[in-house]
Amino acid sequence: MRGSVTGHLILKDWQIHRVPILLTMAAGAIALAIFQWGGETAFVVGSVWFFVALIVIASMLPIFSIVNERKKQNLPFLMSLPVSTMQYTTAKLVSTVGMFLAPWLALVIAALVLIEIRGMLPHGAIPITLILLMLPLVGFCFIAGAALVGESEGWSTAATLVCNSSYGLVWYFITQIPALTDTWKSPVAVWSPTALAIFGGELASIPLILGLTFYLQSRKREFV
Amino acid sequence: MNGAFAISQSDKRPMYLQIMEQIKQRIAIGDWRAGQSIPSIRQLAVDLQVSVITVKRAYLELEREGIIMTQQGKGSHVASNPRLGARLREQELEQHLEQATLIAALMGLRPRELEHRLREASDRTAAKETI
Amino acid sequence: MTGNYPNRLAIELSGVGKKYRFFSLDNIHLKVPEGQIMGLIGPNGAGKSTTIRILMGLVHQDSGEALVLGHPMPAEQVAAKWDIGFASEDMRLYESMTLGWHMNFIQSIYPNWDTAYAQLLLKRFGLRAEQKVKGLSHGQRVKATLLLVLARRPKLLVLDEPTTGLDPVARHEILRELTDVMADEGRSILFSSHNTQDVEQISDQITFIDRGRIIDSMDKEMYLDRWRRLRLEVPYGIKLPALPGIIDVRQDGRLAVATANAFVPDLANAYESSGARVNAVENMTLEEIFVANVEHSREEVEA
Repeated sequence: MRGSVTGHLILKDWQIHRVPILLTMAAGAIALAIFQWGGETAFVVGSVWFFVALIVIASMLPIFSIVNERKKQNLPFLMSLPVSTMQYTTAKLVSTVGMFLAPWLALVIAALVLIEIRGMLPHGAIPITLILLMLPLVGFCFIAGAALVGESEGWSTAATLVCNSSYGLVWYFITQIPALTDTWKSPVAVWSPTALAIFGGELASIPLILGLTFYLQSRKREFV
Repeated sequence: MNGAFAISQSDKRPMYLQIMEQIKQRIAIGDWRAGQSIPSIRQLAVDLQVSVITVKRAYLELEREGIIMTQQGKGSHVASNPRLGARLREQELEQHLEQATLIAALMGLRPRELEHRLREASDRTAAKETI
Repeated sequence: MTGNYPNRLAIELSGVGKKYRFFSLDNIHLKVPEGQIMGLIGPNGAGKSTTIRILMGLVHQDSGEALVLGHPMPAEQVAAKWDIGFASEDMRLYESMTLGWHMNFIQSIYPNWDTAYAQLLLKRFGLRAEQKVKGLSHGQRVKATLLLVLARRPKLLVLDEPTTGLDPVARHEILRELTDVMADEGRSILFSSHNTQDVEQISDQITFIDRGRIIDSMDKEMYLDRWRRLRLEVPYGIKLPALPGIIDVRQDGRLAVATANAFVPDLANAYESSGARVNAVENMTLEEIFVANVEHSREEVEA
């Protein structure tokens, strides 16, 4: 299987971390099943916390993989392969965001299940739920970018701290916006211009963050 | 084939000289005969685990001395001079004799005493060979 | 892109420079003709690793050109790296994976992986594919890394300290593989080493680097031929003349040792004419040359 070298690098990451990846996927599937068919509200709420823990762990693993590749001196080995620094960066971002996406998607699906299938929340909650759920994804891209560009645990830790401490604040502010909260009890999802703007902003910030990462990586004159 | 070559870095003499000497030895005792094809420079370098340039230098010097010949595209071979073995032996004997006289001088032996010692040594060797 | 023209250069560095806060690489000129082995020697911190990183495209030079297998670096590093095998002393494999996994990984990327040769190397190096990297000793890890590089039969081998820290048997095993590479006159090697014995044994060219500058770069045999140690006996009342090509004279009573870095037989005659007696003219090992050379070049800079 010849394929592109970048593709091989992505696969390599998933092979090396296959055990944690499979575990998080299994845990996510179990939690989903609970959401789908579980009983008591309390049980479901407990599972929400389980999900949160899952997200936290899932975000630690990829950062670990980025920072460790430098710390454990694997980088010269990788860069001896026929890849450019940009290809390496691409492979790293795809593989790590990929590792995070699995549990995150499970969380999104679970939320939609709660709303659509279990009916525990009205459809009006969809916009604000999606907006809130996008935050960890944006945050993760930010942390991954910082880990790649910063080249050390210090930078990724700082980025993680910034993100984690801002989640609470941002969640609070979002829940204070009338345009979002007014309609969340309605049986129909209402995408107000504000909601669309915020959601669009979140979506747009991901390519921005990744683009900035690529740009900063390309400027490095001593890559390894 | 080249396993018996022993190139040592702890030997004070440069590697190329050691190679030259061992090639001359082989020719002198008849292991490598006149006109016989010998390993290419690169092949010998690989066998001896020394740099190509060292073997190249050895071969160049040997060629200069008329002991081997290298032909473009055909590799190297021992020169077809029939008296080659004898000539090398001559050189060896001269060297040993000169060394003997130097040592004798350091010991303070007079030429007559040195002659005496030489005769004794010759007798000893002859005695060994009849056993 | 095949064909072995005698004057092709596997590596060509012209005026390469790189500035760091406490160290700078200055005006590096280096030429490795195809089919040759170049040994790069110098003290710690001299700039060997930086030079190697630059020619691998891992570090971007501040000035000068680096051409490797005809490719400018770092611009065409991807194209160049298809044909380069790189191993450096600070490089590590993935600890949690096996050697066999690494072999498959490399094989999946490079088209010219030689499976039979890889198996032979496993045997020769005493390694087993099922072993996890974290269970390997230092020597085994070095050999494992080299196996991954050698089994691809790359056109150019760039090795940073390939035998450092290895026991004599392991060193011998590696030197054997490196010299086997020589059999193909289209393949070249550049390696840096502290081990002057290895460099002296297998290099065709030697480059000396110290404090970011190249002190010497030439044909090994020619180089070894220029250096001699002359053991002199100096009678009382005789002062040794200063001669060109002599970089150091140490005298203790009546005995003196002169070190020549541009030896010609006339030097011995010149000493004899001055009244001193030349007891011996000795060749120097590369290690002795290394020390004398570095000391001499540092004196020159400080003067």
